[in-house]
Order: sequence, then structure tokens, then C-alpha cells
Amino acid sequence: MRFVFLAVLLALAPAATAEPVVALVGGRVLPVSGPALEKATVLLRGGVIAAVGADVAVPAGARVIDASGLTLTPGLIDAFSGIGLPARPAGGPGGAATNAPDPLAAEADVLDRVKLADALKARDAGITTALVVAPDGIAGGRSVLLNLAGETAEALVWRQPAALHLHLSTLRRQYPASLMGTVAWARQALLDARHQQAQWDDYERDPRGKERPRFDASARAWQDVLAGRLPLIVTCSRLNDVRRALALGQEFGVKVVLAGVPQAWEVADLLKKAGRPLLVTTNYDPPRAAGFSFGGGPDEAKEKADIEAAERNPGKLHVAGLRFALVSAHGRDFVAGIRKAIERGLPQEAALRAVTLGAAEALGIDDRTGSLEAGKAANLVAWSGEPFAKDTKAKLVFVDGERFEPEDKPAAPGGEGRPRAGEEVAR
Amino acid sequence: MNALLLCALLAAAPAAGETTAIVGATVLTVSKAGNLDKATVLIRDGRIAAVGADVTVPAGAKVIDGAGRFVMPGIIDAHSHAAIEDNVNECTDVVTAQVRIADVIDHRDVNLYRQLAGGVTAINVLHGSCNAIGGQNAVLKLRWGVDDPAQLVFAEAPRGIKFALGENPKRANFSAPGPRRYPATRMGVAEVIREAFLEAKAYRREWQQHEKKKAAGRGAIAPVPPRRDLRLETIADILDGKVLIHAHCYRSDEILMLIGLAEELGFKVRTFQHVLEGYKVASEIAKHGAGASTFSDWWAFKLEAHDAIPFNAAVLHSKGVVVSLNSDSNELARRLYWEAAKAVRYGGVPEQEALKMITLNPAWQLGVDHLVGSIEAGKQADLAVFSAHPFSPDARVEMTLVDGVVRFDRAQDLAARSAATAAGGAQ
Repeated sequence: MRFVFLAVLLALAPAATAEPVVALVGGRVLPVSGPALEKATVLLRGGVIAAVGADVAVPAGARVIDASGLTLTPGLIDAFSGIGLPARPAGGPGGAATNAPDPLAAEADVLDRVKLADALKARDAGITTALVVAPDGIAGGRSVLLNLAGETAEALVWRQPAALHLHLSTLRRQYPASLMGTVAWARQALLDARHQQAQWDDYERDPRGKERPRFDASARAWQDVLAGRLPLIVTCSRLNDVRRALALGQEFGVKVVLAGVPQAWEVADLLKKAGRPLLVTTNYDPPRAAGFSFGGGPDEAKEKADIEAAERNPGKLHVAGLRFALVSAHGRDFVAGIRKAIERGLPQEAALRAVTLGAAEALGIDDRTGSLEAGKAANLVAWSGEPFAKDTKAKLVFVDGERFEPEDKPAAPGGEGRPRAGEEVAR
Repeated sequence: MNALLLCALLAAAPAAGETTAIVGATVLTVSKAGNLDKATVLIRDGRIAAVGADVTVPAGAKVIDGAGRFVMPGIIDAHSHAAIEDNVNECTDVVTAQVRIADVIDHRDVNLYRQLAGGVTAINVLHGSCNAIGGQNAVLKLRWGVDDPAQLVFAEAPRGIKFALGENPKRANFSAPGPRRYPATRMGVAEVIREAFLEAKAYRREWQQHEKKKAAGRGAIAPVPPRRDLRLETIADILDGKVLIHAHCYRSDEILMLIGLAEELGFKVRTFQHVLEGYKVASEIAKHGAGASTFSDWWAFKLEAHDAIPFNAAVLHSKGVVVSLNSDSNELARRLYWEAAKAVRYGGVPEQEALKMITLNPAWQLGVDHLVGSIEAGKQADLAVFSAHPFSPDARVEMTLVDGVVRFDRAQDLAARSAATAAGGAQ
């Protein structure tokens, strides 16, 4: 109800007559696409970055914000996120999952399940863009790319559907309940999609004398993948899942994107050769399924070693010279995960790249976001200190040029993070 | 963990083109040549180049001192569940011919190394016995140290599949969540197998008609092929003799049932696995042409496994059945040579024939007896070097070679252990 009330208020607000120009002045700017700039200006016009540099002239009428003492970076992109979705069940990618509406419905849209108001809370951590992925099921459904400004899907959705998902996971009471079943299921799904395509092509070419093929929504979704219209993101939790995903892609001529891959560094050479985008998890200790064990219970020592190895994974991938995105992978605190990767050997600069431009590259949106460059979306964060450091806060977050102040947000839900007038520093 | 350390050492072992000679050993060839005293086994390019007392060792050959040692063909385990990632069973359906063990091999399962330490060089990795028609197997060579599961695969081995009869597919001894699955009786199991083959025959007919139509319609647009069904395709491949059936069974009545079904529907059973009541129907098994892969003296672990005798292998052998002794266990697999010794103890099977039960006979059962299973010129150099005759209680494996490459070396293993201990309990 509050939401509706707010919407009414917004509708009554006077519309801007010209595109507002905002200048963030005097901050330390980390554009990611280029070297760091001290005491530089970032000029935003409407929802787009107009200029970045040390000697950018601030046009008359611009709203000037004093950013001295702040560090400006592109908005964080979480390229494999659970924002706006209910808390994750035990299992999730890599574990047993049961509560997906239909765990095998490749055509299901995650957008139908996202609570946008919840998703917007991620902005407080400096996240401006997120690929929202269902954590459950085998075919987790089609993900949606959100840019976190506005209130409605019309404003938030950047790409829909954004990708098709396959979790190399298992179900509990239905097929596939084993990893080999999951691989076999995916293989059959792709074959069926190809078959349906052939049937429809044949029918459309000349329908006379032919029975109409049946419509299969799931096959249609997979056809988008086969035709290269939609990326296939495969969630890999085991080392050999990487090979399974690549082999499946090769079998069907599909260029897969690999997500999760907590032990990716061990197959760095293979990944380098494959050249596929990597969405590397910072959720180092995800809920684990009680996997099948042929004599012997859970191995706690191994689990601990696995967690530690996963924490070192991003740093080792960097050393190996691989490009990748760091993702929350449904972890609760993305920034904490990034910080851990830095503590375990990933240079801070590489970490920043992995959650901005690197993530944009992995999602194929680096032409429109991911760095502070003229012409890109006005998504940026002004940090109180070194990004990702423990005490650093996101002081200001701009999404599509819209300004939010995480720290000063009112306590009442529904109105959080809205820009408030009269806070700009006049000059 | 020492095994992992060793794996690095061993992977760097002999490359192709190298010549190795095991000199001065007692060689149990398991061929017409019988046992040879103070003999030499010459290995070139991973194959046995020569074997005999008068073989000259070429200059530059790597020499392994065999004095006082016994060399036998690498042991082959016709029933294993090692190196399977996640569930051994896809229990959700009674026919799951579409799933493949080859999709879920974990090349780092330490059991592979432990089994090498028991002289094992090849294993038949089978789907579990949950379903009347289970998944497809993977025959592996224990090339411990390779960094890709595909490199473990015994490429020349024909495809195989697991069948299961009796209590497991009818689920007599356990309850799975959800409604009770059909079938719940042995007659139901028979019916399910019959149905599957009839369905596969119809499927094969559909494809044959399509191929005929395609061939006839020169120049015209090719007709849309039928839907590929990986489950039925596999069963059709059984009918075409491309896939070997390994049928889990215990009771004589169900063995006769499957032989009857095979004759009715036109397929062959390659092995009856466990087959504890095989001695009651040995002539019928021989007449069908199936092999038997049994335990030496393990039984009474469930009702259908009660009417067993330790003479089972001997009786089956005496009736002309190709018999192997298997482990079905990561633990028992490490000392299959003593299992073979029991065939001498119970029923007086000659030494050579008992040795065959863990070498040449399982090789035949897996369709690779022309490549492995005996020490003969031209065969792949899969060898186990023992400290004493393998049937002796003092016997232990000193060295195991796969394709001429030393994959286990007891002396090296012990040295690595001491080194690790000296280093302060390193990983």
C-alpha cells in the first residue's frame, strides 16, 4: 500500500523540463577503463555520463556536488545475484534444490518472482546493476538484468530475458536426482529444442497437408540458446563441472558462460583456451547439499579446505592472467565477498575491475556500462574511502543519473534511498 | 593426500617412445605360455613388445629389477562404483538408459590410486542397481595422475549398460520418499524390461522408415527426422549389439527370466553380476553365452543373497562360463588377488584359471580381451608387480603399470610419505 502511495506522489511531482546536469567535483576518480584521476570531475547529463577528467568545465546551471575526499567508481555490477528473491533454500546451485516453481522450466522468467522493492536495497552496498538468477531448480529459468533505479519493471529492467540458466545440480524427488541425470536431461532438452525447431521450420515452409507441431515453451527457450540469441550460463560447483559445461556447449555449438567455478584456478589453462566468460563466486561457503556418499559421512576437513581454496580462487585466476567477473552467487554480502578475495591475494584494482567492467564484459554490456566513460550509463558510486575496505561506505550512489544516499536513508521502508531536494552544494 | 603428491611425481613418468624392461621376474602370463621363471617383459610405446626368458634388453631401456618378484597382468575389476561424482544411481525412473557414468567421472578420486596399489589397472564403473535398466557404464584405465577425466576412459572398450533384477529394482529393502514406484515384484521387473525393448523396437522402426524415406526422396526437401530419444536410442543400440548388458542379479529364477527375455526380444546378456545362485543355472548361462561376475564368498547380506556357496565360481567355470571375481567395493578392490585365490581354495580351480578370473575373463566380459588381460606381445602393458605370488598371504603390490607407465610404485610412495612427515606433516 505504501508503495502505491509513493507512486501517486511521484506521479504528482513536476516533470523535469530539461535534462538535469550534475557535476561531481574534486573527487578521486577510478574510471576502471583508464588510470586513476586525482581531483577530477565527473559530469552527468540525465542518465548518461557526459564527461570524465581533471579539466572538465562545469556548465552553468549544473548541480555541483563536492566530492572531495570521496572515491568515485563505476557502480558495482553483480553478474550472478539473488537480489529481490526470497532467501535461498538449502542447496541452491550445486546442491539439491526443491522449491523452484518448476525446476525444469527453462522458460520461466525470474522477473516474475523478483520483489523489486527488495532488489533496490542492494543499492546501499553500491550495487547499481544486477543479473538476477533463480538459485533453485536445474533449469533455473531465464534471468533478468536490472539497473537499480526507479520503482517498476519498466524502469528497472535492462535486459529481459537476459540469459538461460542450467545449474549442474540435482533434484530430490524427481528426475534428475543425480549429476549424470542432470547432464543427460540437459542433453535431451537441447536435442528436443533442435527437433522442435526443425518441425516448425518444416511446417512454416509449407503447412499444407501437415499436422501443426505442438508448441513447447521450454523448447522455445532452449532454441534461443541454440541460435545464439540468449547466452547459456552454466552453474558449476565442482571442478569437473567446468569440463561438463564446456563439453555440453561443444556438443551443441553453444558458447556457454561459466558461473560459480570455485576451483576454476585449477583449470586455468583449460579456461584460457576455452575463452568463455567466467562469473566467479564470492560465496565461498554456500549451503551444501547432503550429497550421496558411498560409505562415509561429510568430510569437514575437506569442506574447510574447499572454502579456503575458493577464497583464494579469484587471486589465483588473476595471477594466471584470466579475465573474469566476481559475483555474489546468492551470497548475502557481496562487498564482504569481494573484500575476502582481496585479503586472499586479489589486487584491489583487479577486484574493482571484476565487479565493474569485467562483469559488464562477461554479460556483454560493456558498451553501455562498467566504467566511468563519456557515453556510458550514469551508474557510479562515491565511496567514503578505499572501495571495499571494511569501514568504507557508499556515500552517494547514482543509477541512471538518479542520486541516492544510502547512509541517510529514512528508516521507513518504501521511501529508502530516494533523492531529496536541496542537498546539492551551491557554487 | 600423499597420493596427490605422488600423482605429480608419477604424471611426469615415462613418455611414449620409451622402452622399459622388467627383468628376472617370475611372469604369470595368463596365456598359453603359462608361468615363466627369470623372464623379461619388454615394453615399448605402452605395449608389450616381448616376453620370455631369452628376451634381450636393448641399450637405453629403463630396467626394473624383477628378481624375486612376480609379474601378472593388471587386475580388472568388472564391477566398480569408484570415481563417480554425486549419486551412483538415477533412481527416479525404472528405465534410465540415457544417463552416462562417463559424464560424471572424478579423475581425482583417491580410490583409483588405492586400487592401483592393489594391482588393479582397469575397472568397469557401473550405474547402481536401483533400476531395471540403469545407466550406461564407463570402462576406465587407472591412469592416475592425468588431469582430465576423459583421459581415464578405456577408449577401445565397447559401451555397456547396467541392468538390475530382484530386490533392488523392486525396492524390497529400502523406501524412497514419494509414492511407491512400479514395479514392486520380480514379474513387474520382467515386464518393465520387455516394455522398454518393445518401445525401443518401435523407435528403431521409426528411424529406419525415416532413413528409407530420406533415401527415396532424391532432390526433395528432406523429411523432418523423428525425435531423438536418448533413452530409447541406447536400448535400440543394445538390440544392435553395440552395448553390453551387465545385469545385477542373485536368484536363479530371475537369471532364467532374463535369459528368456533376451531370447524372446533378441538381445544378449554379456555378464550376470553377483549371480550368487549362478551355480544352479550354470549350463543355461553358458548356453546363452553370458559371463558371470561374482563374489568369492560374500553373501547373506539380504534375503535374495542367502542361497549362496563359495563354490559358485568353480561350478560356473566347470560348466564353461567365463567367470570373473569382482569387488563392487572400493575397499575389496584393493585385494582382488586374494579373492581369486579363494577360487583355488573352494572348488580347486587351477591357478591359471583362477588368475584369469581377475584378468583375462573380466577383459572378455568388457570386450577388451584382445587388448589386455594377459602378458603377450602386442597387448597393452598393464602389469602388476608383486613381492610374492599374488595368491600368497604375503603378497603385496610393489608396482603397477598402465600402458607401460608406472602409476603406482610402493617404494616411491613410502619415500613420499617419509618426506611429507619430515616436512612436518605437509599436505
